[in-house]
Amino acid sequence: MRFDSFDHLLSHFAMTTPDAPALRYEKTTLSFRALDETVRKRAEELRAGGKSCIGLLCDGSLDNVIEIFAASLAGLQIVLLDASLPSDVLKSLIRYTDVDLLWGDGELCDELSLALMAGVKDGKGKILFFTSGTTERAKAVVLTDHSLCQSAYNGSAKLPLSADDTLLCMLPLGHVFGFVCGLLWGLSCGACVALGRGARHYLDDCDFYRPTAVSVVPLLLGFLVKQRCINPELKLVLVGAGDCPPALLRAAGAMGIRVSFGYGLTETSSGVAISVEGDPYAMEICPDDTITLAEDGEILIEAPTCMMQGYYKRPDATRAVLVGGVFHTGDLGRFDEEGKLHITGRKKDVLVLPDGTKIFLPEYESALMQALGHTELAVTLKNDRPILVFSGAADREKLQAKLREVMRTLPRGQQIADILLTDEPLPRTATGKIKRWELQQKVSDNT
Amino acid sequence: MTRQEVLEQTKKVIYDCFPDMADLDLQEDSVINTETAIDSMGFVLVICKLEALFDVRIPERQWQKLQTLGDVVDAICKRLK
Repeated sequence: MRFDSFDHLLSHFAMTTPDAPALRYEKTTLSFRALDETVRKRAEELRAGGKSCIGLLCDGSLDNVIEIFAASLAGLQIVLLDASLPSDVLKSLIRYTDVDLLWGDGELCDELSLALMAGVKDGKGKILFFTSGTTERAKAVVLTDHSLCQSAYNGSAKLPLSADDTLLCMLPLGHVFGFVCGLLWGLSCGACVALGRGARHYLDDCDFYRPTAVSVVPLLLGFLVKQRCINPELKLVLVGAGDCPPALLRAAGAMGIRVSFGYGLTETSSGVAISVEGDPYAMEICPDDTITLAEDGEILIEAPTCMMQGYYKRPDATRAVLVGGVFHTGDLGRFDEEGKLHITGRKKDVLVLPDGTKIFLPEYESALMQALGHTELAVTLKNDRPILVFSGAADREKLQAKLREVMRTLPRGQQIADILLTDEPLPRTATGKIKRWELQQKVSDNT
Repeated sequence: MTRQEVLEQTKKVIYDCFPDMADLDLQEDSVINTETAIDSMGFVLVICKLEALFDVRIPERQWQKLQTLGDVVDAICKRLK
């Protein structure tokens, strides 16, 4: 069913299936009626508080979900923050997005409270997600509860769940794929959403909640399969936010699990294409979306119901990718004879890691150049992990020590895993840009 | 339990989780991310096993800050009951 807003979604199921389980977290189960009542009560408190922009340090808990829905109903601008980021980065993001109220771990909130701003005047309905925000310069994508609900409808139109299903939400709510495909997808189908208990419970969440469906990034699917912690009731896995190797797919298939792929971006409120049956790499376009290919194969998306309003306070960046309502993804694709979309590569200077994180290379490399005092370097992937290609003479141990200091502020998955020292110059175009494909090829040949 | 015992048991957990690292002589200053084959999910696995083994709880927000084997051992020792 299609919902206009979180308010609409909650009130609908509170009326139609009030006693059905909506959310589970640890040993607590909340029915749709209880969820609706709790959210509305909290929304009243938030309204009375007089704040206008709430920053949520997401921990994926039941209270976290309630706070998001309540803030939306109260008309606050919502900023979803990754609590694992370093404090300095979080402070910068809080200032950038005008947050005047924080929710989350008390100690961390206290630490960050000095960064609070004066709030906003026109934030009603807006929900800000960061584009794999790993640095102080991360862009905030302005979505709305309406666009997120439409995205959930798009997904459920292709992959419907029923009230008997339990969807396990293991991904961070601060990532749009986790929010839409881990939470809203289930709720908008009237299914029960089991909220994962964090990375500490990756090994036993499936056994604890016995889900029938789960949304994961490829790295997490690999972990679940390798550690054999998938429960027999699990029948559907939706994989998104990264490339999934065929070997992993085969391993999951051997365990009797149906795997679907989703393709989408934060800017389109998550998925615009999903594989439903047959070849999992061949994706059908979602009902509200139109996808065409540019002459060079770049994927162009029109998603009138799900498209972002723009990047927060970055009209220049918005104009660069959103032209006449068409979003230029920077991803390359092709259509097969049945009109299904296949992703073939990346046009942008972006690395996509198996956990779905994107590394924006010019920004990442620029920071490394500054820290290491050397410009002839580039970052590429080796065995799905970022490595530094350093051109020129250098003492490896000293370089590693310097690099270690720089990497301390980055999430583990985004840290440089290895250094390739080379005497050869980096492959560049006539205009000086790094030839990414050639560099990747050289690294592959070197392994 | 002494720090040395924690160190030895931590190394054993890592070798058990990643048998292909058996030839690697892990030192206190070995950087887990760059000098081993442990990726971010592998790190989650190691920490979960260590928390269960030593009956400690290291806050998830601290996990990012654990760079070397010595950092991990320190985090465990600090929380040993």
